[in-house]
Amino acid sequence: MTAKTRLRLLLSVPAIVLIFVFMILPITNMIEMSFRTPGTSEPFGPDYTGMHYTRILGDGYYWGVLARSLLTAGLVTVLCLIVSFPIAWHLSRARGLKAVLLYACIVSPLMTGVLVRNFGWMIVTALNGPLNETLMALGIIERPLRLLFTQGLVVLALVHVFVPFMVLPINNALRNIPESLTEASASMGASRMQVFRDIILPLSFPGIQPGMILVYVLAVAAYVTPALLGGQMVSVMPTLIVGELTGTFQWPFGSALAITLSVSTVIVVVTFTMLTSKLMERAKA
Amino acid sequence: MATVEAIKLHKRYHDFVALDDVTLRAESGQLVTLLGPSGCGKSTTLRCLAGFLDPEGGDITLDGESILKLPSNRRGFGVVFQNYALFPHMTVAENIGYGLRLQKCPKPDMARRVGEAVDLVRLNGLEDRLPRQISGGQQQRVALARALVMKPRLLLLDEPLANLDARLRDEVRWLIRDLQQQSGITAFYVTHDQSEAMAMSDMVAVMKAGRVAQFATPREIYQKPVERYVADFTGEANFLACQSVAEQGSGQYRIEAGGTVLTVAGVQGLNGRAELLVRPETLRLAAPDEAADFNGRIVKCAFVGASQLCEIALPDGGTLKLTAAPNTPVHVGDAAAVVMDRAQAWLMPEVAP
Ligand SMILES: Nc1ncnc2c1ncn2[C@@H]1O[C@H](COP(=O)(O)OP(=O)(O)O)[C@@H](O)[C@H]1O
Ligand SMILES: [Mg+2]
Repeated sequence: MTAKTRLRLLLSVPAIVLIFVFMILPITNMIEMSFRTPGTSEPFGPDYTGMHYTRILGDGYYWGVLARSLLTAGLVTVLCLIVSFPIAWHLSRARGLKAVLLYACIVSPLMTGVLVRNFGWMIVTALNGPLNETLMALGIIERPLRLLFTQGLVVLALVHVFVPFMVLPINNALRNIPESLTEASASMGASRMQVFRDIILPLSFPGIQPGMILVYVLAVAAYVTPALLGGQMVSVMPTLIVGELTGTFQWPFGSALAITLSVSTVIVVVTFTMLTSKLMERAKA
Repeated sequence: MATVEAIKLHKRYHDFVALDDVTLRAESGQLVTLLGPSGCGKSTTLRCLAGFLDPEGGDITLDGESILKLPSNRRGFGVVFQNYALFPHMTVAENIGYGLRLQKCPKPDMARRVGEAVDLVRLNGLEDRLPRQISGGQQQRVALARALVMKPRLLLLDEPLANLDARLRDEVRWLIRDLQQQSGITAFYVTHDQSEAMAMSDMVAVMKAGRVAQFATPREIYQKPVERYVADFTGEANFLACQSVAEQGSGQYRIEAGGTVLTVAGVQGLNGRAELLVRPETLRLAAPDEAADFNGRIVKCAFVGASQLCEIALPDGGTLKLTAAPNTPVHVGDAAAVVMDRAQAWLMPEVAP
C-alpha cells in the first residue's frame, strides 16, 4: 500500500463511519423492525411477518395519505420553482453589497428554528390574528378567513422555508451562463421571451434539477409544519408515522409506513432524474 | 447591401469614458477593421453597433436612417463573438439554424440553408455534434456559419481569431475575407493584430483610448500615419526626431534628421518639432561606392535565417532598425552607411493635435 492510498483511506474513514452509524445502521434497523410482529405489552413482538406491508398496500386509506404526501410535496416543489426563479435571476445579476444583502434575505427563513417559525404562522393566520384583523380593518373581508389548519397554509409555509434550497442552485447555474449567449440569441432575432425559453431556461437546468430534488425530498419528509399548521384534518405520512411510533407505540407498523414512504420517494426522484437526464446532459457545458 | 455609419459615439462606464467621439463609416460591402490595443474601446464600439449597449451620445445609421432605437433582435446583424458564444446545449446544426427557426423558416428550406452554410465553412459530418465535442477552429467556423446563414445586413466580428493557433488563424482569416466578399456583406472587424487588419480590410480605424486616431485605407494607415501612435501600432518603425520643421509647399518639408538634410513628404501643417517615420524595409545598407543617406555605427545585429536584423546608431542619438541580406558581412561596432527610399519617408507629429 502506497502512502497515497493509505492517506486516502485515512481521510475517508470519518465519512465511512458517519454513513455507517447514521445511515446504514438506522435504515437496516428500520427495515428489520418493519417485519416484526406487533407487540402487546412492548412496542414490538418476537417474530417476523410481512403483515404490515400487506395491510398498508391493501388499505385505500394509506394509499390516500401516501398520495397526498407525494402530491403535496410535488405542489410545493413546483410553486417553489416558480417563486424562486425570478429571485435567483436577480441574485445572479447582483454584485457586491447588493448580492450580500440579497443572500441574507433569501436564507432568512432558515435563520429561525422550525418551531418558532411555525408558531409564527399560527399566530399570524389565527382567526383573530393580525392578518385577519388587518384584512377586516381594510374592509377587504367581512368575516375572518379560516387559514389555519388548512392544506393551503401547509403548502405556503413549506414553500416559504424551502425557497433558499431552490434559489441557491439556480442562482449558481444562472451565473454560469455567459452574457454573450443571450446577446448572441438576441442578435439572431430572439425576443426576451425567446431568449428565456431557448437559452436561459435550458441552461439553468443543472440548477433546477438539484433544487427540485432537494425541495421535494425535504417537503415529503416535513413533519412539524403539517403537524402544527395542518391540524388533525389533513394527515400526511410523516404525521401518521410519528403517531404510530410515539402515540400508539406500534413500532413495526410505523417502521413499515416509513419504509413505504422512503421507497416511494426514491422511486419518484429516480423517475424524475431519468426523465430529465436528456435535458441535464445537454445543458452540462 | 448596406452602408453603416457611427457618428460621434460617446459611451461611459460610470465615470470612465470608453468611447469619445467615435465616427466610422462602412460603405456597402466594405470590411472595416477596428484596430487597437486591448482596452481601447473596440468591443464597446462593436457592442454599440450590435445594440447590446446604448451609447450616451451620437448616432448609428444604416443607409442613412438611425437605428439607435432598434433593439438588437430587430437589427438583423450577424455577430461573431470572441469566445464564439455557441449555445452549448444545441448541436452544430441547431446552432446554425437557430435564427432561421426564430423566423419560422419552413423545415425543408431551413435544412437546405443550414446545409449550405455547413458546406460553406466545411463542417460536413459534424452537424450533430455539440459544441464541446468539436475543436476550437471548428467552433469558430460554426459561429461564422451561424452569423452568415441569416444573410445579415451587417456582420460584426469581435477578435474572431484571437483564440486560434497561428496556422488556423491564417486559414480562417482568408475564409472570413472570402465569405464576406462573396456575399458582399458589410462588416466591422475587431482585432489587435495589425497584420490581420492590413490584409483583410478595405478601411482601418486605429483606436486609441476610446478615440479614433486615424480612419483610412490600410495603405494610408501604414505609409501616411497621422501620428507616432498609429505608425507604431501598424508595424515595425524607426522614428527620427526633427527639431524645427517648416512646410515648403503643401505637405513637403526640408528637415534635418539623423545628421542628414533631406526633403520629405509629411502631414500637412506641421510646425516645430516632428518625427520622421522610416519603415525598416525602406532602408538598406549602401553599396561600397554608393551615396549614403545616413552614416552610423552598427550596435546590434542578429541572424534570423532569411535575413539579418541590424540596429544602427546615428550621430544625433537616433537609431535605425533595418534588415540586411543574410550573407552581408555586418559586425557590431562597424561603421555603416544606409540608403533610404526617400519617397517613402513620412513626417508626422509625435501626437496629433
Ligand atoms: N462593463 C464595463 N464596466 C466598466 N468598464 C468597462 C466595461 N466594459 C469595458 N470596460 C472598460 O472600457 C474600456 C474599453 O473596453 P473594450 O471596448 O472591451 O476594449 P477592447 O475591446 O478594445 O479591448 C476598457 O478599459 C474596459 O476596462
Ligand atoms: Mg475586446
